[in-house]
Amino acid sequence: MERLTIKDIPLEEYTITPGSACQGCGPALAARLVFKALGNKVIRHGVPSCPDSVTRTPHTFSVFESAGAALTGISRALKVLGREDVLAVGFIGDGGTYDIGFQALSAAAERNEDILWFCKNNEAYMNTGIQRSSATPLYAWTTTTQVGPRGRGKETPRKNLPFIIAAHHVPYVATASIAFPTDLIGKVLHAKRLRGFRFIDILCPCPTGWRFDPSRTIEVARLAVQTGMWALYEIIDGREFRLTYKPKKLKPVEEYLRLQGRFRHLTDREIEEIQRMVNENWERLLKLDEMGEFPL
Amino acid sequence: MTIEVMVGNKAAATAAKLSRVQVAVAFPVTPQTTIVEYLNEFITKGEMDCEFINVEGELSAQVVVQAASRVGARTFCCTSGPGCLYMHHPMHDTSSLRLPVVMAVVHRGNKGMQPDHTDLMSHIMTGWIQWYVENNQEVLDSIIMAYRVAEDMRVRIPIAVGYDGYILSYTAEPVDIPDQEEVDDFLPPYKPMPSLMPEDFDPKAPLWWRVPWEEHHKVIVDAKEVIKEVNEEFGKRFGRSYGNGLVEEYRCEDAEAVIVVMGTIASTARDAIDNLRAEGKPVGLVKLKCLVPFPYEDFQRIGSEVRAIGMIDRNVCLGVGGVGHTFIRNAIYDLEERPRVLGFHAGLAGKEVKVSDIERMAEKTLKAARGESISPLVEWI
Repeated sequence: MERLTIKDIPLEEYTITPGSACQGCGPALAARLVFKALGNKVIRHGVPSCPDSVTRTPHTFSVFESAGAALTGISRALKVLGREDVLAVGFIGDGGTYDIGFQALSAAAERNEDILWFCKNNEAYMNTGIQRSSATPLYAWTTTTQVGPRGRGKETPRKNLPFIIAAHHVPYVATASIAFPTDLIGKVLHAKRLRGFRFIDILCPCPTGWRFDPSRTIEVARLAVQTGMWALYEIIDGREFRLTYKPKKLKPVEEYLRLQGRFRHLTDREIEEIQRMVNENWERLLKLDEMGEFPL
Repeated sequence: MTIEVMVGNKAAATAAKLSRVQVAVAFPVTPQTTIVEYLNEFITKGEMDCEFINVEGELSAQVVVQAASRVGARTFCCTSGPGCLYMHHPMHDTSSLRLPVVMAVVHRGNKGMQPDHTDLMSHIMTGWIQWYVENNQEVLDSIIMAYRVAEDMRVRIPIAVGYDGYILSYTAEPVDIPDQEEVDDFLPPYKPMPSLMPEDFDPKAPLWWRVPWEEHHKVIVDAKEVIKEVNEEFGKRFGRSYGNGLVEEYRCEDAEAVIVVMGTIASTARDAIDNLRAEGKPVGLVKLKCLVPFPYEDFQRIGSEVRAIGMIDRNVCLGVGGVGHTFIRNAIYDLEERPRVLGFHAGLAGKEVKVSDIERMAEKTLKAARGESISPLVEWI
């Protein structure tokens, strides 16, 4: 990635504000930052997602399950027309990336299509009203993982999608956060200069779905990273691994969880379980970072 | 112009090459598979300048051509039976977004490997123009014509060209291959509307979106005139045309009764009609090529000229009836004097349809035309 300061962030704006977004919308901010870095020489592709209309750039859409295929079609058509100066960019939610869009995503990654894929990850189906996806974290309440005598929220941890994509040996995979704009834009600028399949998974808190006050979006996003619930890293060519944010000590996950209504029901034991998982994962990531190697 | 003996799948691939397809995509499915192989061979040999994408399934295949067509590439895909069904969801958008994709559907029925028309007919409501063709020459000619029709600014609707699996896909027949220059002359380069390139982008322009139902329906209905025009022009340039582009009539002059068929059964039926005519029986043949948009006007004219129509459907809309039978009865309802309309289900799941079968169906239809009592009105052969 490129190292930037806040002054290096381009001033141009390409997003529609406020568009169809709620107050404090994380994905809307992700769009703003991503397209500042990409500029408008793009064709942005979207599938049903929340919010769905984000940029003042050329754009296309297709059925929910098909972003990988649509981006392939865009990219190959641009190639055959001699317009490789235009980028094929996917700005796709976690449902369209982790779940229903996974087959076409994996296939496009395996073919190493010339595509930039951004997952605006708000950890559930927010467009249809907060249903769980495979990006939803352990114990999170959603309208399909409810809390009651027979339910404690989502029963399984989220899918480790960035690692799965990296196992396709693509040129670039990274995670990012809207609370770390220079890290995010540095990754976008780096990815923009590569060719082939590039994937950036951006954690974008959703005040409506996560149940927190819209004024606290950045705080929640920052704590996700500072507690290790969402680590920032990049994986190059499916071989090199690098953490791009390494605090000396992680903050307790409780600080992050307690801000959000979707985790309101958690017992101390459940919080401890999450803390243990995060600690183990962080140790593994530190080891990979130290080796500098992605082990697949 | 050269004559080459080739299988139907090579005729389809050759048509894609002659049409200068820029993005081709496919997932292998029997009996379509060799189209994909021929295309790959043409591209590998350098005979065809085309991006070829081996996708992971037909749903993606349909979306790749949809997106590439939107950006501005001429696109081709091909499928059969189960793959055709798997494409259903995005096929609606290809038509709703008015993208001139052309697809070969090598018929394979929905209950097994053998051909019938139930695969493509399952997509009647997707807004695709549907053609059912008779032989390998018509496969090649129809795919070239399909680009011209689909890309016409009055149409901009995708077209599926269906032909019977095995019976044509793997059977060699002489095919007259037009010269590349002649095809180039007939088929100008494709331009997307509106342009999607950043330099043409107008942020104030209305959002480009699915065409509303009423307009969508009218565009497809009106495409009949363009299909007729293109079929006629093709005939003038290449010396071959197929009826009026929608239906093709064979020995219908002074006919008291006609049978209506689709796809390869038409070739068998020509022999049956010749035999009956030799016996002095006034029976004609109508080949229904264009199912969507349905040629109501042609069937109203035919219906006013004969006293009975026997529709031979290589399909069944379960719980409803034969698709052709239902549509023809719909077409003739407004006539003051209606002919009788008999239905036959034949050739489903690849069941052989013999000349003698067709003779029997035609004779039954003739009896109906002559006022004899007929039972049952709809029959499974």
